[in-house]
Amino acid sequence: MARVYNWQLGREMSYWYPESRPKRQFAAVFDTNKCIACQTCTLACKTTWTSGKGQEYMLWNNVETKPYGSYPLAYDVKLLDMLDSGSWSGNKYEGRTIFESAPAGERVMGWRPEQQDYAYPNCGEDDCAGQVDGGAGMMSLPHMSWFFYLARICNHCTYPACLASCPRGSIYKRPEDGIVLVDQGRCRGYQECVRGCPYKKVFFNPMTNTSEKCIACYPKIEQGIQPQCFVNCIGKIRMAGWISKPEDAKPDNPIDSLVHIKKIALPLFPQYGLEPNVYYIPPIHVPLSFSRQLFGPGAAAAVQAYRNAKNDADLAALLCLFGSSEKLMPRWKRIGDDVYGLDEKGATLVRVPRNEPVFIRPAYDKLYQITRTNCP
Amino acid sequence: MRRLVLLAAAALLAGCHRAPTRTNEVVSTASREISTDASSSIWDAAPEHLANLLPQDLVDPRILKPTTAEVRVRSVHNGGEIAFRLEWIDRTNDDMPGPARFLDGCAVQIPRGIEPNPPDPRMGQGGRPVEIAFWRADWQAAVNGRKDTIQAIYPNAAVDHYPFQAKSLEGTDAQKQMETRYAPARAVGNHRAGPRDSPVEDLVAEGPGTLSPAGARQSRGKGARTNDGWAVVIARKLPEGLGPNKRTQIAFAVWEGSSKETGARKMRTGWIPLAVRAAR
Repeated sequence: MARVYNWQLGREMSYWYPESRPKRQFAAVFDTNKCIACQTCTLACKTTWTSGKGQEYMLWNNVETKPYGSYPLAYDVKLLDMLDSGSWSGNKYEGRTIFESAPAGERVMGWRPEQQDYAYPNCGEDDCAGQVDGGAGMMSLPHMSWFFYLARICNHCTYPACLASCPRGSIYKRPEDGIVLVDQGRCRGYQECVRGCPYKKVFFNPMTNTSEKCIACYPKIEQGIQPQCFVNCIGKIRMAGWISKPEDAKPDNPIDSLVHIKKIALPLFPQYGLEPNVYYIPPIHVPLSFSRQLFGPGAAAAVQAYRNAKNDADLAALLCLFGSSEKLMPRWKRIGDDVYGLDEKGATLVRVPRNEPVFIRPAYDKLYQITRTNCP
Repeated sequence: MRRLVLLAAAALLAGCHRAPTRTNEVVSTASREISTDASSSIWDAAPEHLANLLPQDLVDPRILKPTTAEVRVRSVHNGGEIAFRLEWIDRTNDDMPGPARFLDGCAVQIPRGIEPNPPDPRMGQGGRPVEIAFWRADWQAAVNGRKDTIQAIYPNAAVDHYPFQAKSLEGTDAQKQMETRYAPARAVGNHRAGPRDSPVEDLVAEGPGTLSPAGARQSRGKGARTNDGWAVVIARKLPEGLGPNKRTQIAFAVWEGSSKETGARKMRTGWIPLAVRAAR
């Protein structure tokens, strides 16, 4: 095992390979507060990539209801239960990662879902925590009874457990964009990656005897376009881009701004130690203890910053960029009340007003002498 | 009394069924015919080597607890081809692939070069390759007629529609191309990805993690369930330089699917001497 630095843990950790960061790292921010679990992302991915034989059960993208939803079944709580989950001292993780907890004979601590675990993709859907008999208690935050939607794709981790687990080196991280792929020519279907990935985002194809996973729609990324699950999101909860290391964060990079500068977007289960590159704006109505377990020690500050967005012109502007263009927007700027999504050279890809103009149409139309009802 | 005599006679006859000659090494006897049928009479006269299996506990990922204890090996050759019959006890038939489902299998490993000091038994070493013939239970099922459909694995699977089944594509080359595109491993020519026309795969390796498909197919085989396990015949071209009165080394591996054995998680032997006998 090599020693590598994981900034999400605030410390060095053990990993199977030495640290080797790509030239730039694909990353994404998902705003959990805007997701309505319509599963349009799920279908956009499904119809694009996994319509073949043996891929029937695969959901490279899925949306699960937390706290009870999970796909495959209990993928999260099972590993949390196995992991010697230590505490955080400030932003430093003092527990052991799945690499540091690997038992004898294994490269990572993992487990393999059984077939039945894939049979309930909508398990726990819309089930809220706690009883609502005495009222749902929605008048204050956090809510007494709550649930939220967690959209998930492969995290294209800086330290992928799938990659570390493969004894054949069939999984690789592209040096040009950090996207993690399974080499379909080299894979021999041992399912070690399925066992190793804590997010269970590698799937075994029983027809081809190989494992397959989210490819971050790399043919689109190569053309400067965001992946299918991003551009089809009707809630506009997602933004794809590139993330820098914290010390190299650029204020004109929207992902760096959200993750490193505003610190409102957090990794999912950072304690596993993979440095995942999909970042979540945590839900504002959920008990903090739950958010901390999922998103780490920055959860409270992130919720606070998000709730204060109306008073932070830059943050409010940044949030308006989500879903505003199908193009990747590596840079951004704000001028007054307008936010601009820019390409690498600073050319404008999209302009979005921070506040959309509002028109109020009178219920009674004097010209046609008719009362308009709320229909198109 | 008559019954007693009959029983005694039966016991005597059973005793006359010759126990196989056991050898300390794998001895390949000459045979005019090579058959991949494990019950063929060509195997009757061949001596048997009982190979003890060890857990692969040297390279991660490994198994730490032994499963299949031993494999019984017989061998015959005809001067051009050499065949091995491997028999082992395995109460479960694991021939259905799937998530967290693993397959029964076995493999025969021979150094590519015939030399006094063989390469590392852990799948060879850099510049000193080993040749491996690998048989797997699900490939045997495919060759025996299992269909290349998801319903052959999950009989109750319901599929609304595959895009390549569109009416407008029926019977066209475009349909075949599209179906292949939706099976990425097949599209890039991964031999392992099927559909299989042989239960045996030819491989070469120069150390752990280097297993690659061999350039050309040189092995064939057939496996069948026995009362208590598997009997598998793997026949391959006699390695270059190996022939009557020559010797080399051989190693075996067995995978027990229901024990989640796959890849490096296997029971294996070290090198065992292989002696090729001339015809009498």
